[in-house]
Amino acid sequence: MTPSSSNADSSAAGAFPAARGPWRWQGQALAGLPVYAAFLLLVGLPLLTVLGQSVMPALFDPRHPDAAFDPSPLLRAVGTPRIAISILHSLELGAVVALAATALGATFAIMTARFALPFRRLIAPVPWFVFLMPSYLKALAWVLLMSPGGYLAQLGLVGPGLTHGFFSLGGLVFVHTLGLFPLPAFITGAALAGIGPELEDAARLAGLPRWRIWAGVMLPLLAPALALSLIATFAEVLSDFGLAATIAHQSHFGLLTYGIYIAASDYPTDFPMAGAQALILLTMILIVVFADRALRRQSEARLISGRSRAAPAPEAGGAWRWPVAAVALAIAGLALWLPLAAIIARAATATLGGGLAVANLTFGNLSDTLDRGAPANAALLRSLGYAGLSAGVAAGTALILAARIDRAGRSLRAAVLGLSLGAVAIPGIVLAFGYILVWNRLPLFQNWPFPHYGQGSLLVTGYVAAALPYCLIVILSAIQQLSPSLTEAARLHGHGPAARLVRIVLPLVLLAVLTAFLLTFIRTIFELPISQLLIPVTGSPVPPFVVKLFNHDEDGLAAALSLVSMAVAGGAAGLIWLALRPRLTFGTRGRVA
Amino acid sequence: MKTWTAPALAIVLASTVALPAAAADLVLYDALDFAATVAKAFTARTGITVDVVEPGSTGETLGKIAAEGSNPQFDIVWLDGSAVFERMLEDGVVQPIPAAALTGVAFNALGKSLMPANGAFFVTGASTTAIEVNTKKVPEADWPTSWADLARFKGAVAAKDPNLSGPAYQWLAGFFQTNGVDAGKLLLKATLTDPAFSGLSSGGKINKAILTGDAKVGINQDSSIIAKMAKGEPVVAIYPKEGSVALPEGLGISVNTGHMDAAMKFIAFIASPEGQAAQKDGDDTDFFYIPVFEGVAAKTGRRTDIPFITLDDKVAAANEAAWKQWYRDTFVQ
Repeated sequence: MTPSSSNADSSAAGAFPAARGPWRWQGQALAGLPVYAAFLLLVGLPLLTVLGQSVMPALFDPRHPDAAFDPSPLLRAVGTPRIAISILHSLELGAVVALAATALGATFAIMTARFALPFRRLIAPVPWFVFLMPSYLKALAWVLLMSPGGYLAQLGLVGPGLTHGFFSLGGLVFVHTLGLFPLPAFITGAALAGIGPELEDAARLAGLPRWRIWAGVMLPLLAPALALSLIATFAEVLSDFGLAATIAHQSHFGLLTYGIYIAASDYPTDFPMAGAQALILLTMILIVVFADRALRRQSEARLISGRSRAAPAPEAGGAWRWPVAAVALAIAGLALWLPLAAIIARAATATLGGGLAVANLTFGNLSDTLDRGAPANAALLRSLGYAGLSAGVAAGTALILAARIDRAGRSLRAAVLGLSLGAVAIPGIVLAFGYILVWNRLPLFQNWPFPHYGQGSLLVTGYVAAALPYCLIVILSAIQQLSPSLTEAARLHGHGPAARLVRIVLPLVLLAVLTAFLLTFIRTIFELPISQLLIPVTGSPVPPFVVKLFNHDEDGLAAALSLVSMAVAGGAAGLIWLALRPRLTFGTRGRVA
Repeated sequence: MKTWTAPALAIVLASTVALPAAAADLVLYDALDFAATVAKAFTARTGITVDVVEPGSTGETLGKIAAEGSNPQFDIVWLDGSAVFERMLEDGVVQPIPAAALTGVAFNALGKSLMPANGAFFVTGASTTAIEVNTKKVPEADWPTSWADLARFKGAVAAKDPNLSGPAYQWLAGFFQTNGVDAGKLLLKATLTDPAFSGLSSGGKINKAILTGDAKVGINQDSSIIAKMAKGEPVVAIYPKEGSVALPEGLGISVNTGHMDAAMKFIAFIASPEGQAAQKDGDDTDFFYIPVFEGVAAKTGRRTDIPFITLDDKVAAANEAAWKQWYRDTFVQ
């Protein structure tokens, strides 16, 4: 092996020295083993049991277990009107919301990227807040606003016709569109940032009016981003459980994810039917994920070139900036401020019907949430503990696995990234159902001490399984940017792999690890489907508790708990960020040499 | 691999330490408003800790038990409905209540009539299903007096999904017993014509549909209606002339429990004056139960002289899955 080829190998292997010679492939296989084992146990096995149920319905029959192939659950699923309708509903809702959210998100991105908007500080961060707000909370907020006796009806802003019409496909599209528009806004915004001014300048010099520049130049350039937005939003709607379990259920608009929940958790349970619906859902999601991947590869080459310049800064003047700001503020108001106001109002009042009258104001709901020992407070503390633990375990495990993968080489990195991207697409409801099957039906797992079904340990395992793929993606991307010379030098100084990981790699990729931790922390506090299906015997975490309160007409306490949870989760995330910020020696930009 | 042991071990250790404490002395699955209150009072009295697990509705609680299969996590389960306990006894999910648990328990006449001979559950209270009428929407002269009368209000009748609600299944089984299964199905199809009202998840949703929605009448657990009446809402509970099926609140013991002593103490506590006081210490639906022990009075406003008919639990248990599925396929979207 020549020195130059050795360098190339080292470079490909990233921060950790790669194995050389005939042992290289063996080393890669060994390095990949923990990763594959983790994915197999946390994701593969649960998924396999779920899908197995759809074609082997007697697999877990308590009296006569049988592994014979039998597609009858699938045929029954498409042949049962209720389920066939829920499949059509899911597709219908996904398609309409994908179009509406992409239109809204792209418009919002263009407004914020190309106009010097007044009140920009109020407008620009809105997509991030909306993105982090759980879908079930947005749905419940709109129920408070749009119910026949809700806040908007009390204020005379909507009539009976509109309130009744809201609990239908139209209302679902409205709430979903406002909840998911950040996704297209992020994708389109990123594409806009990559389009330099040269093309617009050329079109302007050619004498094209502004609308022709947008229609003839910008729109074709943005087309791949818009297509990606459509696909991503469609997949999000298909796998969503928050709206399916709340406003859709209330509107009698059956959706696939809720059908899986009902078949898996409501007596009489029908595991084969849950498996069949999960298989149908996963097939639909995988089709769009593959389409997304194919399109993403194409789009990367189209939008950005090496000669691109930075996107033009928004024009400071312009007659349109005020009307555009008004539209952006309206979107922000409907997507964030209004639902948030509804939750605050409901948390601070005794009854919904009593409105905002002074006599109806109360601190009772908030005090029930803040009182130590109260059920709502206990749920909040549990969720904070579970979320912190899950985030720590997921980010820590991802760091260790990423370091191993980075050392192994390019092919393993590609395989793990592919596996992770695939795992991210698995809906939480399917994963949780798989955990129920594995831990209650497979003999080895029934008495497995840790994690154990019915305990917080299995819930945290579920959270970690859901979070690990994207933590791995985030941290692996950062580790790949480190020069191998850094860890080589540490190795020459006698530091072992663990010391190199903790003392060299971790400080350099701390931003990525922190990002993964905080993302997992916030997502876990508001994670509904896994929490709902794997409620520990020691007590419920926040999301199922909130949904239960709403279902039992205790929406004031539910609103207060949601509000306090958001404040505490945001505050805790902010404190962690502030505490670790001074330690962020290097970000993820550029390769550290 | 040893180089990775330290961080891996740290993570596992952190997990073990940071997780909430392990299960308490007794694990209780329930779908009743008063269960947590009673459990708290029981712990205060005996020092025996109870983990109260409330997956949601009765259907969701039963679903959780079914999902756990041969790996049940509960010691005791407290629910509405006798047929569900009959079925769980037949399926080997719960065990007969030991005779020793009944020693010294002073049931009143209703309690004696509801306590099953096979010991499928320990009866702790009762309620029934009644017709709920919004007195502002329906003049008194038009109030329905029987289940068949509800057809006059078709399109404006709110009902619970028996798949989600224990009381609703008890009612459905009683309704079929009174009217015959085929005739009962036809009658329901003629009555529950608006899918927006025919598959509601809880008594609270029925109340909401009748008080602020378009429904005028409903099929609801009487204690849910009485709880609203106690708050001054314009509703009334009408008991149908063909009689009402009693809905026992029952407590069952898991066949796999390792805490039989604690379970027996819990049963004894419920039957005690202190336990009964805790069971009434609230304003939600289930607190307005009909007492089944001698010398215990119901909460103010709760009627107890209701003409009950007896449900054939065996028939109801045998048909539970099929009738619930029929209801779901017919009325729930």
